[in-house]
Amino acid sequence: MLKINCLIILSALLLPGLSLAQQTKNHYSVSGTIKDKATGETLPGATVSFLQLSGVGVSANSYGFYSVSIPEGSYTLVATYTGYRTDTLHINLKGNLQHNINLEAASGQLKEVKISSSSSSRSGNVLTAPPGVQKLTVNDIKNVPVLLGEKDILKTIQLLPGIVAAGDGKAGFSVRGGDADQNLILLDEATVYNASHLLGFFSVFNSDAIKDIQIYKAGMPADYGGRLSSVEDIHMNDGNNQKFGANGGIGLIASRLTVEGPLFDHKGSFTVSGRRTYVDLFTGLASDTTIKKTKIYFYDINLKGNYQVDKNDRVFLSGYFGKDYLQLKQDNGIDYGNSTGTLRWNHIFNNSLFSNTSLIYNNFNYNTHFQSSTNNITVGSAITDYHLKQDFNYYLNSTNKLDIGLESIYHVTQPGAATTSQTSNYNSVVLQKKYSLESAVYVSHEWTATDKLKLTYGLRISDLAVLGPGNFYTYDPNGNTLSNTYYSGGKVVKSYINPEPRIALNYQLDDSSAVKLSYDRNVQNIHLLNNSSATSPTNVYLPSTNVVKPEIADQVSMGYYRTFHQNGIEFSSEIYYKSLQNQIDYKNGANLVGNENIEADLLFGTGRAYGWETYLKKKYGKLTGWVSYTLSKAERKIPGINNSTYYPSSQDQTHHLSIVGMYQASKKWTFSADFVYSTGTPVTYPNGKLSVDGSPVYAYGDRNSQRLSAYNRLDLGATLYVKKTRKIESSWNFSIYNVYGQSNPYTIIFQTDPNNMNKTQVQQTSLFKMVPSVTYNFKF
Amino acid sequence: MKNIRAFLILVSLIIAFSSCTKTITPPLNNTPQLVIEGAVSDTTGPYHVNISKTADFYSDNVYPTVSGATVVITDMTANVTDVLTEASAGDYLTHTITGTPGHAYQLKVMLDGKTYTAMSTIPKPVSLDSVTVDFSVNNNFRPVANYQDPADQKNYYKYSMKRNGVHVHHFQTFDDRLSGGRYIRDKLDCDTGTFHHGDLVKVDLVGLDAGAFNFLKEAEAVAYDNANLAAPATPTSNITGGCIGYFSAQTVSSKTTVVK
Repeated sequence: MLKINCLIILSALLLPGLSLAQQTKNHYSVSGTIKDKATGETLPGATVSFLQLSGVGVSANSYGFYSVSIPEGSYTLVATYTGYRTDTLHINLKGNLQHNINLEAASGQLKEVKISSSSSSRSGNVLTAPPGVQKLTVNDIKNVPVLLGEKDILKTIQLLPGIVAAGDGKAGFSVRGGDADQNLILLDEATVYNASHLLGFFSVFNSDAIKDIQIYKAGMPADYGGRLSSVEDIHMNDGNNQKFGANGGIGLIASRLTVEGPLFDHKGSFTVSGRRTYVDLFTGLASDTTIKKTKIYFYDINLKGNYQVDKNDRVFLSGYFGKDYLQLKQDNGIDYGNSTGTLRWNHIFNNSLFSNTSLIYNNFNYNTHFQSSTNNITVGSAITDYHLKQDFNYYLNSTNKLDIGLESIYHVTQPGAATTSQTSNYNSVVLQKKYSLESAVYVSHEWTATDKLKLTYGLRISDLAVLGPGNFYTYDPNGNTLSNTYYSGGKVVKSYINPEPRIALNYQLDDSSAVKLSYDRNVQNIHLLNNSSATSPTNVYLPSTNVVKPEIADQVSMGYYRTFHQNGIEFSSEIYYKSLQNQIDYKNGANLVGNENIEADLLFGTGRAYGWETYLKKKYGKLTGWVSYTLSKAERKIPGINNSTYYPSSQDQTHHLSIVGMYQASKKWTFSADFVYSTGTPVTYPNGKLSVDGSPVYAYGDRNSQRLSAYNRLDLGATLYVKKTRKIESSWNFSIYNVYGQSNPYTIIFQTDPNNMNKTQVQQTSLFKMVPSVTYNFKF
Repeated sequence: MKNIRAFLILVSLIIAFSSCTKTITPPLNNTPQLVIEGAVSDTTGPYHVNISKTADFYSDNVYPTVSGATVVITDMTANVTDVLTEASAGDYLTHTITGTPGHAYQLKVMLDGKTYTAMSTIPKPVSLDSVTVDFSVNNNFRPVANYQDPADQKNYYKYSMKRNGVHVHHFQTFDDRLSGGRYIRDKLDCDTGTFHHGDLVKVDLVGLDAGAFNFLKEAEAVAYDNANLAAPATPTSNITGGCIGYFSAQTVSSKTTVVK
């Protein structure tokens, strides 16, 4: 009930804006779905505009649906999408028109199709996109060289401005100074809690199964929420509904296979992708016993099917299952994995009202095993979400669009459970599960006020209800338990309601330049606890509780955008300032494993981040690529740490530069290169040593007062297209990661010098010095 | 088949050798700080309190001693006070005081007009059953401490080892937070190749109170696992007044074995 009331109030708030959208002449809508002609894949973000109407343009939603209402008349409809041939159609609009558009993929190098259009606001380019948004398709990344030849959409976005990797072999990435757990990574709307395979060397997203990724660093649309820093909205391919096909690759580390095809007489389609590494198959052959006893593998499977029930209804079912298994020397092992499932129903009520209903399940769990003759322990933790989401897109007229929706997620987290053998040193322990209900309602109004001014504003109201059953504690500042109250199942222990205003403004200065401004507030209720810098996924997800408050971020972002050479070159420059509340840190010696009173070991503080990002991209021609540079600062203030003053947070990187270039030398050969440079991240180093029980122990100064050495790396790649016929396509991909063998720090250890027990030394370990690889890809 | 095998081995090698380790020397400024380490135990005295300063990271493991302090240990339960004597530079010895389980002890150090104090209580003794040796890893034989953890109380432990009468520079802590009442068989960490066949191993099971344990647990993490700490920090002292170190009133139970 509360939600419905909220919706009504929200709608009322937005009415003043809507009243400006009075219709004067007979208006009719043009609507439909935009698809790839050959495969039937929907093309989200493809745009529709009209030669005769400047300033009118609409982009397809994430299901490829578009709708626009224009005055009656005769028009040339223009449908465009990057990497596709532009399609035009003459229409004589005398009534509502439903028209599905099929676009043909452009083969060969990308060339901008020039249309002599008076329309200054052809959508789909940097000028009209909302601020802080970036989109990459799998096609965009296929030539970017990557580690061991596994093309990886989540690794490639780390070459974009404002998005930085945690370092070689480290999981996670930081967006505009945020923590790794502050990124909302969605796969077909399902939250992926741990997006890394093999301790972060690869992401869990098999690029063969992925259509595209949309990244929001600022100006988050109101339908997204739950994380402070960014949204990575990843869509899986729907599957070819025209013909059966298979594609895959054989690489040094992993092989992939995808099968897709039509179902139910082309009314539906399916796709199944699988990937598995096989290092473990070789390690058994090694003579070195350490390598021999090491067992490392991961696999993942992506499944998707869809069915067009009738003209107005389409259902989708998609799923992901992945698992990592790492065992070192038979004693210790880790296994972890995500599974997600999404059931969606698209319904077109009428030409202007589109609805999507999603039922989503996702789960992440990890288990750590310790084994010895007497000691067998398995420690596990998990988070499971049951998620319902309802979205409406209401296309009022050519200048007004309304998005309304609500969602509710029931989180069940198991912060830790240990099972032990009888002779183990440890007792079996099961921490109480934590239950919470995270709900939100939102309204967002996209208003094209004039030819030049577009305004998107909205409000999201989120609520986290901390639910029983369970014991809930309160603590004094020293972490001593003050009270302990038991709440029975379903009882609301605490509720946090937060309004999250979002506003984004886009003003076109002229045909080739624009300024944008955005403000948004985001609230985060699921917190990842991890006080280890190790890349272990053994960390605890904790929902907000009576003690842990929701994290809140407010961000203001501003930018200037310009295109050159008919959109062939894009330039953008953005500045941002972010203020963060209720950030989590840890007391010295905090116990995160098996600790019922984990909250007593936490500290809470504030943070701020600001920076300047600039980006230059060449989109067409033989040479394509981009240069991205970020100057930024990210700081924290936690009571008790560094005299309670601001200090650089662990992901602070002053300078970050990436250069990506791809050169199509001939029909057969494409060469590519990328270069990355960034300032070393802050670390805490000893400022002296003392003796404890005769052993050297280190004393430390201020937190994060030193920095690692700067990170830099050059990767090279080449792709050879062997065969390109209508039936079969195959290619070889060669790459070298870290060509000049730069030793970038992975870990720094302070230890006793093994050659002189009376001395201490600093050891730096680096990963991946010059890793060559070759992958064979095929498609038929 | 042969080719495949060669290929597979090549791949394994690429992965195994693509990581590398080197010694680096980042600038580490040393700010000398006062360090106090002292203990009273239920074994015969005299007991030591050592006062020193932290050393520069790159210098030898020799710590500048601090002389001229007034050091007093008081048995608060029995009301006995012992003023320690500086036997050698920075090494202060007790005379009369004895360690009794259940008694609380106070350490007071006066130096350059400042006073540093700490309280610690000797816990109920836990005795070590036996020491055995784990041979599961070649050339890294590890002593195993076997004992029953009492179920009715919180217990905090430290292990220390001697090889042929010589102190092994490696300490380790353990507590029964997740092990209350268990029979403990704890493998003790030491550098590879520390123990050989025929060595005499002596293990001390030291029972601590919470304050001393917290310092030692954090010290252990900093000494042996600093690469995995997101935010390493100086271990939290149980001595007030602004110094590093700890004062522990403790029990000691020892057992020996020969590495066969």
